[in-house]
Amino acid sequence: MKTQDLIAAAKKQGRTALDELAGKQLLAGFGVTVPKSVVAANAGAVAKAIAGMTPPFALKVMSPEILHKSDAGGVKIGLRNAEEVTQAIKAMAGVPQIKAARIEGWLIEEMAPAGQEVVVGAVRDPDFGPLVMVGLGGIFVEILADVAFRICPITRLDAVEMLDELKGAALLDGARGRAAVSRDAIIDVLLKIGGENGFLIQHADDFREADINPLIVSANGAVAVDARFVLT
Amino acid sequence: MNDLVEQRIVEKYAPLFMPKTVAVVGASTKGGALPNVFIRRIRELGFKGPIYPIHPSALEIDGLTAYRSLAETPLPIDYVFIAIAGAQIPPLLEAANGRVRFAQVISSGFGEVDEGRDLQQKLADAARAGGMRLLGPNCLGIYSPRGHLTFTEIGPREAGSVGVVSQSGGLGTDIVRRGLNRGIKFSGLVTVGNCADIGPSDMLEYYFADPQTKVIGMYIETARDARRIFEMLREQKAKKPVVMLKGGRTKLGLAAAVSHTGSLAGDDRAWVALSRQTGCILTESLDEFIDTLLIFQTLTPCVTKPTERVVLFGNGGGASVLATDSYARLGLEVAPFAQNTIDALAALKLPPGTSITNPVDCPVGTLQQDDGRVAEKILDIIYGIGKPEALVMHLNMAPFVGRSKPEVLDNVVQAAMRVQSKFPGQAHFLLVLRSDGDAEIDARKRDFRAKAVALGIPVFDEIGNAGYALKALRAHERFVQSRG
Repeated sequence: MKTQDLIAAAKKQGRTALDELAGKQLLAGFGVTVPKSVVAANAGAVAKAIAGMTPPFALKVMSPEILHKSDAGGVKIGLRNAEEVTQAIKAMAGVPQIKAARIEGWLIEEMAPAGQEVVVGAVRDPDFGPLVMVGLGGIFVEILADVAFRICPITRLDAVEMLDELKGAALLDGARGRAAVSRDAIIDVLLKIGGENGFLIQHADDFREADINPLIVSANGAVAVDARFVLT
Repeated sequence: MNDLVEQRIVEKYAPLFMPKTVAVVGASTKGGALPNVFIRRIRELGFKGPIYPIHPSALEIDGLTAYRSLAETPLPIDYVFIAIAGAQIPPLLEAANGRVRFAQVISSGFGEVDEGRDLQQKLADAARAGGMRLLGPNCLGIYSPRGHLTFTEIGPREAGSVGVVSQSGGLGTDIVRRGLNRGIKFSGLVTVGNCADIGPSDMLEYYFADPQTKVIGMYIETARDARRIFEMLREQKAKKPVVMLKGGRTKLGLAAAVSHTGSLAGDDRAWVALSRQTGCILTESLDEFIDTLLIFQTLTPCVTKPTERVVLFGNGGGASVLATDSYARLGLEVAPFAQNTIDALAALKLPPGTSITNPVDCPVGTLQQDDGRVAEKILDIIYGIGKPEALVMHLNMAPFVGRSKPEVLDNVVQAAMRVQSKFPGQAHFLLVLRSDGDAEIDARKRDFRAKAVALGIPVFDEIGNAGYALKALRAHERFVQSRG
C-alpha cells in the first residue's frame, strides 16, 4: 500500500493516529526496517499465522481504544513458540481493560536482536516547519533530555553531527563493555525520516507528532520496534 | 545566488540604504517632534538630497517647503519616515500613488497589542496599494552611513562592513552606539519592528548580496519568515558570517517578546538546530553579539586551519589562570608550550615572576623592559616556534599607571603588530584592555582602544569576552571547513 493511501485509510476510519501495523507499513514504505509481523484474528489462528517465522516473538493487542498498550497489559515479549503465543492471547483477552475494548486482532512480531534503544522523533515548529529529533532510549530521552534536533530536510552530515551532539554518544561505540552499534544504521533512519525526500518532507502536513520508540540498533542494523503517528 | 540575482537585490534596496529623496511625516512647525529630530540628524550626517515634510496645512517646516501628500512632492520619494497616529497612516500610504519606494512607520499601537492587529493588516494592505515596501510599524528607523540616514545621534560618517537587522528599535540603538564605541563600522542597521511587510529574511537576503557587507548581525524575537531564513542560510553555507541574537529563548522571555513586537511562538530547540545546521553563530547577550560582530569585522577566518591552540599573553597571574579555566570551558585550548618553545623563552632570561609556559604571565616589571620592546622578543619566539592559531594579549592597565612611561603600552602593542606582520596570516591577534573602572584609567583605555581599533585590532574589555568571540570565530572556521 502506498504511504498516502495508508494515511487516507486511517483518516477515513476516523482515527486520530495510525494503528501500529499501519505505522510500520508507513515506515517500511520509506525503507525503515520493521520487524517481520503477522496479525492473528484470534488465539486459534496463531499456529498457522506464524509458520515460517523466527522466534522469539512479541505479542501486541490491536485496538483503536487502547493507546498505551504496555500500560494496559497488552504487550508480551519473549514468547518462544506458537503455544506460548496462543496462551498469551488467551490471558491478555481476560485483562479487564482489553476485555472492554474493541479488539481488531493480535499483532505477532519477530523480536529484534538485542541492541541500543534509540528514539527518533518529529515535531512541527510553526515557523520553521518539521524538525527531526534523535536521542538514546529510556532515561536519556525521558529524564536527561539528551536529544538533538535539526530542521528538515537534513543532510547526511547533519545526521552524523546529531549523533555526535548526544552526551551519551559514547554508548553507541561500545562504552562500559557493551558491543558497539551501527551509527550508520541510525543515520540512515534519520535520513529516511528527515532527509531530502524523507517522510517528514513528504508528509509535513499529515502528522502532528511522530516517533519511533524504540528503534533498536545492533552492530548490523536498526529495527523500528514501535512507532506512533498522530494525525493532524 | 549568482551575480545577476545579487545585483538585482542590491538595486531593489538601494533607495532604502542610499535614498536620493527623503520625506518626513509628523514633523511639527514648532519643532521638537521626533520627525524634526530626524531631519536635523540626517542633515548633520551629511544628507544632501531633498527632504520633503508632509503636513496637512503648514507651508514650511524647519526651513523646508512642506507638501500636502506623498503624491505631491516634486520628485518621487525613495524613503519616507512616518511618525503620526496609527489610524492616519493607511490613507496616507494609499494616496502615494506609486511614488514612494520605502515607508518606515515608527508609530506603535499595531500588532504588538491585541486591538492593533486589524490596523496592522490595513497598514500592510495600504502600503501594497500605494506601491511601496513597508518597514515596521513599531520601529525606530534605519542607520545607513552610506545613505546619510540615522535614527540615533550621529556617530562617524564612515561606512563599514557590518550589516545588522534588529526587530527591536531600542536594542538597535544600543547596537549602533555601543558598536561604534567598540570600533564597529556599519554597512547598515535596519529596525524592522512588527515586520508587517519587510522581515529579517529580506534584510538577510540584502546583506548577503551587498558587496559592502562582510558580516551580518540579526536580533530576532519571533520570525514568521524563519523558514526562509533557514533556507537562505543553508544555501549560503556561511559565505558571510551571520551572528544571531535571539530574544525570547526561555518561556518567560518569549512572553515578553510577544508583547514587545506582537509575534507568536518559536521553539528554542529550532534556533539551536538552525545554528548547528547553517553555521550561523547564536550568541547569548548583547555584549557577546557585539564582541562577535567585532571579531568578524576585524579578523579573517582561517578555514583551512581552524583555531585550536590559543596563547594567553599579558600581565596578571590570577587573571591568566581564571582565563585558562574559562577558555577550557569554551573548548579553547590554552596548553603549555612544547619544550623547544620553553627553552627559547628561558634563554631570554626574563625577570623572576615571569611565567614562560602558556599562559605567559609577564608582570609590568617584565613588560616595561626596553620600554616595552621586550614583547617583540617574546612574541617572536611564540609565533616562530610555538605557532598557535590565536594569541590573546591582555593588558591590565592599572599596574602600568605610575610605574611605567605612557609609551610602554604603545610599544607593547606596536611590538605585537610587528611580529604579526612578520608572520602574516599565522595567528589571530586579539587585544584585551582591562580597566578597574577608575576614571583616569578608563580615559586612557578609551584613547588606547581608539588607536588599536585604527590599526584593525579587535579590542575586548575582558579576557572572557575575547574568549567567546574566538569561540565563534572557530565555530565559523570549522563549519566552512566541514561544508565548504
